[in-house]
Amino acid sequence: MSRVGEIVESSTKGFAARSPRIGQSPSFGCFVKTDSKPVVYGLVYEIITESRDPGRKPDPYGKSIEELKREQPEIFELLKTEFRALTIAYSEKESIRFSLPPIPPHIHYFVYECTREEVELLSSEDFFLRTIISSPNVPVDDLIISSLRYAQDARQFDKGYLVRMGKSLARFFKDDYERLSSVLRRLA
Amino acid sequence: MLNFTSLKPQINKMIEEKKKLEEDFLEKINLSHRELKLRSKKWEEISQKVGLSKTSWLLAGILGPLDNTYSLPLRPQTCTVIASDGSQIFPNRHEALPCYLINIGSVVLHYGEEGKAKLNSYPKFFYKDEDRLVIWDGRRIPADSSVISERRALMEFQELLRLADENTNLENTVAICDGTLIFWRLEGTPSDFKNEIIEPFISVMDRLKDLRIPIAGYISFPGSTDVINTLRVGLCPEEVSYCNKCPYTDLPELPCSPIEGVTDRMLFSRVLSKPGERSSVFQSSSKILDLYGDHKIYFFYLNIGEEIARVEIPKWVLDDKELLDLAHTVIFDQSKKGNGYPVALSEAHEQAVVKSRDRDFFFDLIREGLVRSDFRVTVSRKGLSKRIPRI
Repeated sequence: MSRVGEIVESSTKGFAARSPRIGQSPSFGCFVKTDSKPVVYGLVYEIITESRDPGRKPDPYGKSIEELKREQPEIFELLKTEFRALTIAYSEKESIRFSLPPIPPHIHYFVYECTREEVELLSSEDFFLRTIISSPNVPVDDLIISSLRYAQDARQFDKGYLVRMGKSLARFFKDDYERLSSVLRRLA
Repeated sequence: MLNFTSLKPQINKMIEEKKKLEEDFLEKINLSHRELKLRSKKWEEISQKVGLSKTSWLLAGILGPLDNTYSLPLRPQTCTVIASDGSQIFPNRHEALPCYLINIGSVVLHYGEEGKAKLNSYPKFFYKDEDRLVIWDGRRIPADSSVISERRALMEFQELLRLADENTNLENTVAICDGTLIFWRLEGTPSDFKNEIIEPFISVMDRLKDLRIPIAGYISFPGSTDVINTLRVGLCPEEVSYCNKCPYTDLPELPCSPIEGVTDRMLFSRVLSKPGERSSVFQSSSKILDLYGDHKIYFFYLNIGEEIARVEIPKWVLDDKELLDLAHTVIFDQSKKGNGYPVALSEAHEQAVVKSRDRDFFFDLIREGLVRSDFRVTVSRKGLSKRIPRI
């Protein structure tokens, strides 16, 4: 199980984690979990690489990454890559509860990518889709599409899965046919 | 609160006055350049006169023609730069505890195929009596801002040595510090305090010499006038200049005055035409260097492109052409990388800097820690009124 980050910001609805390497992060839409108690599960919805110091901004150098590594090695120490995850579930007594945890994960706990079995379990119901749809400040439609791709990859032989989830989406977007159609077309 | 409405007319007046002086000043710089060329032809003569003269100013010791220029040597593909800088929180007598803090920023930059960087900062908290007090002419007195500044400067050099000792590959390594290598502020301090600073500093220099790591003090936009002062000695009609017996004080203008006010930086901006070029090396005549033993300080000027910088080196760097060339080329490369100021130094500064809100938080932490442990904390009314200004 490879560690993909360390929590640097935490709240009930989600958490932010620092990647160990600049530019590396679990992909958008990926299912991740913390090693805190309780274990909290989330969906990566934003990946940011920026200056560590809010008062300093990266400047263009006009050099390739290899040249920069040879001749300006300090800049890689001054940047950070962080990703934000939307909390979709937590574990309680060996089972998964599809609601917000009673207490968010502590700062400095580690974040890991979920295993195939965990992704399958977390996406078995449409609760995560409802969480995405009801969350402000996340790219809702794209996160639905990307997380559903992860969910489908985890259950390669379940051909009816996307159809089931499509039906859920039809219910969620019953008042917005254009949006539903855009999501479904992009999922196909 | 600064009243800019009152300030602006004063700034305008200054600009008007400066405009009038500007033309005269250009002529002064031209004259100093002509003098430099003239004295270079017979540099041994002026060198000897400088050696014998007694002036009230610092004179540059001359080792060769004054107007020589040296082009930029090739930088080795693989090299390492170590740099340090420091900042401090001075004691505040209005606070709960007499204490201070020194924060040392430390940078190692490896260039080449294995390019990597290490940036760190190390705060040190001084609160014990032996740290807080200084032995000054046999008496123990509280360390003030000038004492703390010298201790900080020493810690910066010690950090450079620590980085050098930690580094396994010392090939082509240059140590750079921000500012002068000359502890000139110690002149006039009692010998016990001088020893507290100079002795450990000499140990650092001894070790860097053993490791063959050239150390350089980098001074951006220098205001020094050592070379100009030497030219002023040249302008003096006396065979040997003794300023305290100057026979020309009745004249409307002293014979050495026409280039007064010009700095070495202005002069060498005429001499060093190409970026990367350095000047001849001159010897500093600072009195404090009598205590430096084998590490007497020399300096040269370097055309960075954006400005003329002063680079100070100890004698053993001057004596080893390989080290001198390495310092020359690496410092220029550093300045290019850092937009006119060595990137290692600007990163060391960023690591070291203690912002005003950090200072407030530092004192908050002390107060909070003391209160939690049931110590009675007294803060002066002045300190309190600054923290919570009333309307």
